[in-house]
Amino acid sequence: MKWITGSPAVRETLRILLAVLAALLLGFIITCLVSKDPLNAYRAFLFGPLSRLNRIGDWLEESISLILLGLAVSIAFKAKQFSLGAEGQMAFGAMASGVVALFVPLPLFLRIPLALLAAALIGFLWGALPGYLKAYMNANEIVSTLMLNAIALRLYDYLLIFHIKPPGAGYNQSDSFPEEGILPSFMPPLPFWEETRRMLTNQMNLTVMLYIGVAAFLIAYYVMARTPFGYELRMVGENIKFAKYGGINTKRTIVLVFAVSGIFAGLAGAHLSLGVHQKLIANITVGLGFEGIVVAIMARNNPLFVPLAAFAYGYLRAGADIMERTSDVPREMILIVQAVIILLVTAEYVLPFIKQRIVKPEDSYLAEGDRYAA
Amino acid sequence: MPLDLVLRGIFSAAFVASVLRISTPLILPALGGLLTDLAGATNIALEGIMLVAAFSGVVVSAYTHQVGLGVLAGIMAGMLLSAILAYFHLYLNTDVFLAGIALNIMASGGTIFLLYTITGDKGASSGLASGMVPVIDIPLVREIPFLGTIISGQNIFTYAAFLLTAGVALFLYRMRMGYHLRAVGENPEAAASVGINVKHVQLAAFLMSGFLAALGGLDLSMAYLTLFQREMTAGRGFIALAAVYLGGRKPWGVLLAAILFGFADAFSNQLAPLKIPSQLVQIIPYAVTIIALVLYAAQQRARSSGQQRSMK
Repeated sequence: MKWITGSPAVRETLRILLAVLAALLLGFIITCLVSKDPLNAYRAFLFGPLSRLNRIGDWLEESISLILLGLAVSIAFKAKQFSLGAEGQMAFGAMASGVVALFVPLPLFLRIPLALLAAALIGFLWGALPGYLKAYMNANEIVSTLMLNAIALRLYDYLLIFHIKPPGAGYNQSDSFPEEGILPSFMPPLPFWEETRRMLTNQMNLTVMLYIGVAAFLIAYYVMARTPFGYELRMVGENIKFAKYGGINTKRTIVLVFAVSGIFAGLAGAHLSLGVHQKLIANITVGLGFEGIVVAIMARNNPLFVPLAAFAYGYLRAGADIMERTSDVPREMILIVQAVIILLVTAEYVLPFIKQRIVKPEDSYLAEGDRYAA
Repeated sequence: MPLDLVLRGIFSAAFVASVLRISTPLILPALGGLLTDLAGATNIALEGIMLVAAFSGVVVSAYTHQVGLGVLAGIMAGMLLSAILAYFHLYLNTDVFLAGIALNIMASGGTIFLLYTITGDKGASSGLASGMVPVIDIPLVREIPFLGTIISGQNIFTYAAFLLTAGVALFLYRMRMGYHLRAVGENPEAAASVGINVKHVQLAAFLMSGFLAALGGLDLSMAYLTLFQREMTAGRGFIALAAVYLGGRKPWGVLLAAILFGFADAFSNQLAPLKIPSQLVQIIPYAVTIIALVLYAAQQRARSSGQQRSMK
């Protein structure tokens, strides 16, 4: 066994798989306790997402949001910056791209890029703010990002209700976007697959955001692994004092980490407005605020594993939705499974394969002290 | 005159009383957040603790027809969640922030899940005849004009919030355990070197934090309203965390900060006749918190550099 468990990467993977399995087992036990037909309910949960084409579409669509959010969170967490700001950045990303989609009279091939750019830019700026407060003003980022989220969500509501909602509309939502403002299908209209394309677009709402998600993943991976900024980011995360000693401008790095993380969250917001809902609605970010954190934790903050974690976790979420629709078990079971995954993956002493990682308590206090002294 | 209406609304005793009522479920968890923060760990699970307590209180009081048992169950449930957080943080070396997030998610999902299992409804517990804690009319005080309306006729949690603020202040600054708690938060190694058991002190801080946050949750479901609604804490646990910093990490400061949040909430509702969007008014306390956070950090920095200078 030693040759298997010797490699840290294999050990990590086993650990996470074990955590997911344990959480799924617990989910099954809970299902048995509340359901009249637990086997069918759990079958829907585990296999439902693959049972129909439109369900596969739903799963993939949500996974794209989760990839972008997971990248946003893992970039910040990798630098040990505990930003919770993704939700606010996402709301602003949705708003900025939605405004472009609704009001900027450009053709599709210009309007969509402009909308995405607007979302990325607002995410960058709204993300840079808590980074600046942390780096130069010493403000605790957990509290500041929570406050900025609250502010962003209220500004979103305000803009939506008082400026964007058409007068006299019953619901707090915008008009549906014009066709030039909606993400086109992931299959370009080419003559030789016209039949397949029509069949697929009828069944599922999979857009070009798929490619943007893949590109975002590749860029994030490249930036983290191969650029000076990525190196500085990892150094700041590992030991900020050492990084400073080594000549890294840690303050500038921290601001950039927050801002770059915000770009990805902003794009996730653009996906919600331009792709998923195709209009601006109230509470557009609901249910996704903390999901990026789960994905990042499952990927151990490594961008390389974010897509895998996002597809896996998106699958569980999609399965929970189907279970709720087809059985007597509410979808919130997935939240319990999710919490257990986070606890098992992040607790250092719970699962096997990790003996080497045990740190002396003094060290952890030092780390704690650093965090809270700041 | 709409402005007239607004002013008359704000300068009424009923408005002040409602500010206190709205502030109660912020004051109590904020005191809990203060204790863990001073002990050196951010309790980000205040939100989840409140939710679990609110839910347990409603369910137990509905099934036993005993308000007291409901309150007790809520306190136990909240303290249990806090103990789990402490266990993962202190003994399994989990990052307290991530474990706290996990417990918030579990509380949010678990309460909805159980609500649906028990009542068949995922929105609210309106089908359950749950209890309500007593409102206290203070005989003579009640007769005082203006003040009587404010001080008398509040529910027990509102009185508890003020008494417990005094209690926490007494504990932190007048009791040995309180000194230990602050020493552990200030410098765990130094505290350990003089024989303080750091983990025990932090565990105690988490338990007290759970107790206080649970009272806040119970206030929501057994006083402010008398039912449980999904996600009924609506971010109050996080606002409470902000109040800890806005209040300068001191009990009475935290109380005032929590009341400021409550005031902004009540105030934004009063502005309706002026046609000022309530969303914009509600932003104010969050912005103030960020400013306070910056000022507080600057003050800490000035103090520590001052200490270094005086040592030279």
